[in-house]
Amino acid sequence: MTRIGAKAGKDLVSVAVLCALSLGIAGMAMAEDDFQPSGSAWELLRAKYYGDKPMGLVDENFMSLEVPGNTPDPATTPLTLRFSDDAERRVKRVRVFVDNNPSPLVATLDFFQTPITEIDMHVRIDRFTSVRAVAETSDGILEMRSAWVKASGGCSVPPTDSSHGGALGQIKLRPAADDKSILVSIRHPNSSGFQIDPRTGDAIPAHYISSILIKAGGSALLEAQTGISVSENPTLRVASDQALALPLTIDAVDSVSQAHYTGSLQPTNSSASAGRASSVMNGGER
Amino acid sequence: MAASADGRRAAAAFAPRLFVLVLLAAAIGPGAAVAAQSPPRAPDEFNLTEPQPGVYVHIGKNLPLDAPGHDDIANVGFIVGSSCVAVIDTGGSVRIGRELRAQILRRTSRPICYVIDTHVHIDHVLGNFAFKNDKPHFVGHAALADAMTRNRAYFMKEYGGDFEGAPRAEQIVGPDLPVERGLSLDLGNRPLRLTAWPTAHTDCDLTVYDERTGTLWTGDLLFRERLPALDGNLKGWLAAIDGLSRMRSRLVVPGHGSLTFDLADSLARERGYLSALYDGVRRELAQGQSMQDAIDKVARAERDRWMLWKDVHPRNVARAYEELQWE
Repeated sequence: MTRIGAKAGKDLVSVAVLCALSLGIAGMAMAEDDFQPSGSAWELLRAKYYGDKPMGLVDENFMSLEVPGNTPDPATTPLTLRFSDDAERRVKRVRVFVDNNPSPLVATLDFFQTPITEIDMHVRIDRFTSVRAVAETSDGILEMRSAWVKASGGCSVPPTDSSHGGALGQIKLRPAADDKSILVSIRHPNSSGFQIDPRTGDAIPAHYISSILIKAGGSALLEAQTGISVSENPTLRVASDQALALPLTIDAVDSVSQAHYTGSLQPTNSSASAGRASSVMNGGER
Repeated sequence: MAASADGRRAAAAFAPRLFVLVLLAAAIGPGAAVAAQSPPRAPDEFNLTEPQPGVYVHIGKNLPLDAPGHDDIANVGFIVGSSCVAVIDTGGSVRIGRELRAQILRRTSRPICYVIDTHVHIDHVLGNFAFKNDKPHFVGHAALADAMTRNRAYFMKEYGGDFEGAPRAEQIVGPDLPVERGLSLDLGNRPLRLTAWPTAHTDCDLTVYDERTGTLWTGDLLFRERLPALDGNLKGWLAAIDGLSRMRSRLVVPGHGSLTFDLADSLARERGYLSALYDGVRRELAQGQSMQDAIDKVARAERDRWMLWKDVHPRNVARAYEELQWE
């Protein structure tokens, strides 16, 4: 069991190309792992990304991870991270993992100068799994939060027809009334590579947003490396405890075409809207 | 006037039955054995009523989709004409389909000429297989065949226990008579008018109107008591409610919940929830709030008016959020 699990884990964390094979092996291991928060996948992920560095389990005040235990939709599970780091211990990078997904690393999130208090995203959950967030802080410490989610099939659900409705790479930006947060929606199938076209029976090739760079007032606010465990129509919400400087710009990269999809939120010229931004969207390929 | 007096009588007649069903649902709900299907019943226990002459309805249970007995949650039934029978929805397992068929054979010797599916959801269509040997026309929305193809693997994987024996694709019987917009069927001196709707509850909703008795089968375009589940398009569903409210009907057979003679009131209740969902999610999006925040906050005032809120509402919000974020 351990040996099989180990082999599966190694394959799983490497590249999507090997996923079909490893999925089969993981499937065999699954019967035993199914109903318990198994550590085996995580041990391998941890070794791969963090070696043997010690890892603390921080309290909710420093970082919290919220994900519904019974997800409303395995293919679109809302995930919320909250931070209240202080000036001495800043979060520099957060990785989000879904242990038992074919591609467990959901996203690598790099933070910059502006303090970030919340990140929301939608993820695919393929089967019962732990979901984790691991933060690397400015003093070189690793901190983790995790949660258990009951769901299945999120990586193989056929695409919804709604995703075919608009232009690939269309970007919508929605600031909060106080300008302290921005909600980014990118229209993209974000195909996992594990979905089958039910009409033809053929596998739909992986095709996803591989990175998203958000800038505020000309400097980087957040950079996310993303993969196939992010849901169709990738959504990213970033909140700070201070107003985000304008212009806000988004640059998202397509894994297949390498096209850059862009969108921006510009300051309004009119003072009538009192600081509210005008949304310049429909970013297309640059 | 006569209709409304009938309405009160009928409502009074249905109420105790519903009450018993609710009790039953509560009793066998949580903590019940992990049987995949409801326990076998003697034929008399299928609980079939004839609310109008020649209109037979079996009311489904208000259970979650993952509860024991989940194969018997939809309203199913049939209409008998002078030459043949039309089945309207067949239940969530081959076994429910067989029970329904046995009820038909007990009441008429006329052949089953049509099996009409109101939409693709498993609780309405998996019993189709029980009627295959009767060689009826299987009738559905023009988009139903494609929707069934899309759902085939999901049905077999998630609801394998509701098939007969091992889950096989042949047991998922799709339509051979597609309805593009409207279609009239005649059961022998008994015309049925079928209407295919633009995407609403699903992308393949079909309603059936029995002209002789004025009975309207809404499929899942109308839920009563049980919280409506969104799987198609929220704006489309609100538009379909407008369309339905212009239809003539006496008795209404909803997809889930009790029978009624008051279509307008039922649609108003459903519109109350769906428009609260629509307005609430749009407001959350306009303020750039997260899906989780929307799940926590939207339409809370509706909570006590519906059954299965926790099972259904979060997913509805997620669906609405995904749909409306492109506005």
